[in-house]
Amino acid sequence: MSLLAPLALLGAAILGPLIIAMYLLKLRREERTVSSTFLWQRMVRDVEANAPWQRLRRNWLLLLQLLILALLVLALARPFVFTEGISGRNLVIILDRSASMGAVDDGVRRLDAAKARAIQLIDQLPDGGRATIIALGGLMEVPASATTDQRELRAAINAIELSLGGTSDLAQPLTLASALVARTEQSEVAIISEGNVTVPPDLEVPALVSFFPIGTRQDNVAISAMVLQPGVGSQTLFVQATNYDPSTAVSRRIDVFLDGTLFNAYNVTLQPTSERSIVVEVPPDVQLAEARLSGEDGLPLDDRAWAVSRVGNATNVRIVGPGNRFLTTALGLLPGVQVTTVPTTTTTFDETTAQVPITILDRTVPATLPPGNLLFIAPPRSTEFFSVTGVLEFPAVQPVVGDEPLLRNLSLSDVSVLEAVRIVPGTWARVIVDSDGAPLLVAGERDGRRVVVLAFDLLKSDLPLQVAFPLLMANIVNFLAPGTGVESGVVAPGEPITLQLDPAITQVRLTMPDGTVVTPPINNNLLTFADTNDLGVYALELLRGTEVVAEQRFAVNLFNPNESQIVPQQQIPVQQAGGIQNAIAPSTQSARQEFWRWLAAIALVVLLVEWLVYQHSGVQAVWARLRGRIGQKKPL
Amino acid sequence: MCSLHTEEKSPVTTATEPLFDSAFLRKLDRLTLLTRRALLGDMQGERRSPRRGSSVEFADFRPYALGDDIRQIDWNLYARMEKFFLKLFVAEEELTIHLLIDNSRSMDWGDPNKLDYARRMAGAFGYIALSSLDRVTVSAFGAGEQRGVTQLPGVRGKRGAFPLFRFLQQLPVSSSGNLVAACQRYAQTARIPGPLLLCSDLMDEGWREALKALSSRPFEITVMHILAPQELEPQLDGDFRLLDSETGTPVEITADDDLLRRYQANLSAWRSEVEAYCNARGMVYFAANSAIPVEEFVLAQMRQRGVLR
Repeated sequence: MSLLAPLALLGAAILGPLIIAMYLLKLRREERTVSSTFLWQRMVRDVEANAPWQRLRRNWLLLLQLLILALLVLALARPFVFTEGISGRNLVIILDRSASMGAVDDGVRRLDAAKARAIQLIDQLPDGGRATIIALGGLMEVPASATTDQRELRAAINAIELSLGGTSDLAQPLTLASALVARTEQSEVAIISEGNVTVPPDLEVPALVSFFPIGTRQDNVAISAMVLQPGVGSQTLFVQATNYDPSTAVSRRIDVFLDGTLFNAYNVTLQPTSERSIVVEVPPDVQLAEARLSGEDGLPLDDRAWAVSRVGNATNVRIVGPGNRFLTTALGLLPGVQVTTVPTTTTTFDETTAQVPITILDRTVPATLPPGNLLFIAPPRSTEFFSVTGVLEFPAVQPVVGDEPLLRNLSLSDVSVLEAVRIVPGTWARVIVDSDGAPLLVAGERDGRRVVVLAFDLLKSDLPLQVAFPLLMANIVNFLAPGTGVESGVVAPGEPITLQLDPAITQVRLTMPDGTVVTPPINNNLLTFADTNDLGVYALELLRGTEVVAEQRFAVNLFNPNESQIVPQQQIPVQQAGGIQNAIAPSTQSARQEFWRWLAAIALVVLLVEWLVYQHSGVQAVWARLRGRIGQKKPL
Repeated sequence: MCSLHTEEKSPVTTATEPLFDSAFLRKLDRLTLLTRRALLGDMQGERRSPRRGSSVEFADFRPYALGDDIRQIDWNLYARMEKFFLKLFVAEEELTIHLLIDNSRSMDWGDPNKLDYARRMAGAFGYIALSSLDRVTVSAFGAGEQRGVTQLPGVRGKRGAFPLFRFLQQLPVSSSGNLVAACQRYAQTARIPGPLLLCSDLMDEGWREALKALSSRPFEITVMHILAPQELEPQLDGDFRLLDSETGTPVEITADDDLLRRYQANLSAWRSEVEAYCNARGMVYFAANSAIPVEEFVLAQMRQRGVLR
């Protein structure tokens, strides 16, 4: 224990003798006449032998007053003890809430341990000290910003929950923390995490960064991948388990459940930091597969995974045109695509967007455009999306430079085109393949519909003979039937779901993994749902009125190797003020815990006791009167 | 917060209430003073005297000598022995009871008042003596108005009860007192020794000399050591300046549990000392608490100790 203001002790040196002197000098005595002082004199004779100190003997009031003085002076001297923690007045706490903080050490969840540590740091704040809480993991959040209100800070810390999505990237939190601490003196940044975080290499924090490591365990086995792949007449289930423990081999059993019933169990032995896969044929009518790792390890969150069957979820593609073998062949090769061909003479399209999401208009434009997303191939006339102004002959094919999803994995530079339609697209469209004066391929989105226009007839180019053609078709179909995740059946935690809906759909019902049913709002035929933080299977029902017209399921799995890695680290390479390269746990001498408040509180209690002692006889009289009254009430 | 207090009384007490009620007096009628040996008296009475006299109780024989009353010759003995013998009888004479009351200021204190207690005690004792036809003298000391002693010279018989009680009721409080001087003077001036009752609180440095002076004459002394309950158990808490009611000498004390405990120890040691001193000189010692009624004290304790029967 040490003192912040030892000079205050001088107060005791001055006031203490003063109090004692006042007791010694106290002359006021009550006068009493007694029959004779004969007996008293006999006794006082030996008492006065060592006066005046005798007068101070057994004087409770004096003792208590001296005790109060001692306590108050000690409180004013501001004693403290050294503890592990922080000493700054402006504290930024970066609290890791990523999935890896869901690991359990000795029955305590790491997030709870981190919260307790954060509250301990808040308690150590000096008077008037400010703190900011930054939640790391998933989307960065700042639940409490530069406040001195400790209650608010505690509430903010307690409200932090695990965020399973995203990664533990320190870039954003550290940038914000740097901005916060740069303005204020005596600032300090505290990172509370297990240490498996990504650190920006070029950021130097202009303050001291302390790292409070959380957690002890490092054993963790995860189901790191799981897919239910449709095949011909059956489905293939792929399950991968990974041992993230860097030192110990482990044997675990994987239980596979199909539609809720146990299908098989596989014993796997996993070497350190290695994975094992299971590939098994399952019946085609299986809708849902679940894999569970039996036994326990550090992180229970990643011991279960789900996969949803995509059989029967094929995307319907309708081709309106005179017939094109290249096109139907290319589309037929794509998995999960069901192609229907309708003649050019068709004028009415009754199917909803949900039933037929993509329509390919090959060298024709019907009077009424069908609903859903559209691919125009060599449109003969103008539409509401573009105008046709003429014909291009031998256009040069000039794909745009950059990362264009429609041109991924393919090259169109060898394609020769005999003749193309000169189109003028609206502002919605972006040019993907240009030529002299007019684009050859444009794509874009308008009024919630995705449209792609290919300006030349496939039969008047050598594109269908190129390797690029099926790839281009696959990219176009992917763009027109975008992978919202719902279609593929796999969504990452925290990732929002967007789903294009038919206008006829009036309501959507979503059953969460824990059984609760929510009805997310439909906005402009678009369903957006972001609350996918819980792991498990989400069931989506599309309703027209009260009738269920379609059902879809998707699984949210924690397939995140970074988060399944739970080995606690002892330092984080954060560059900080003073050229320090690593944030490490602070030593036990780094923080001061003051306790003058307790001393002041004890002094108050002693003051109360002193008052009671002073009123001693009065209290006794009241007590005696009370007892007398009680005695009177007793029946005799 | 102390029940200790002084009663500011005028020096002359004009107590009008009777000392005793008649029922108590009737009880006292049945009691007599006991003496341990025959004591000399002046007049014929009911007490055995060391003298030979004319009662019916045989005492001794004595050979006849010339001049003796021939009426006292025992003729039966002369018939057997053929010598003259006188038959002697025990004389019966009165006793003189001495009542000594300390009326110094220190006695006029306490609740119940110690002097009142002494008055009643002396009254009861005197009344018993009077009812057995004994002579009673009452003396109150402190510095007496004339000779240091206020005195009621002997009264005798039940007729004397009224002057006795009147004297006691009108007994003033002496302005100052010297126990030793008063006792020495009384021992020297008392004409005939007899049973002596001393009512005092003995709060004087010279209590030993006082008792010693009295014991120099063959009195049968009974010491009535009267203390008030406020002296036996003082209810004090805090800082006090105690003033002596006689001399005004101040004593400063800080009363706490420890001091009161030591006071108690001191008090009981002093009382034991007085009692031992009395026992060594053949005196009967009574420790009286003025809170205990006189009636109870006389009827129970004094009979138990063989002072009364």
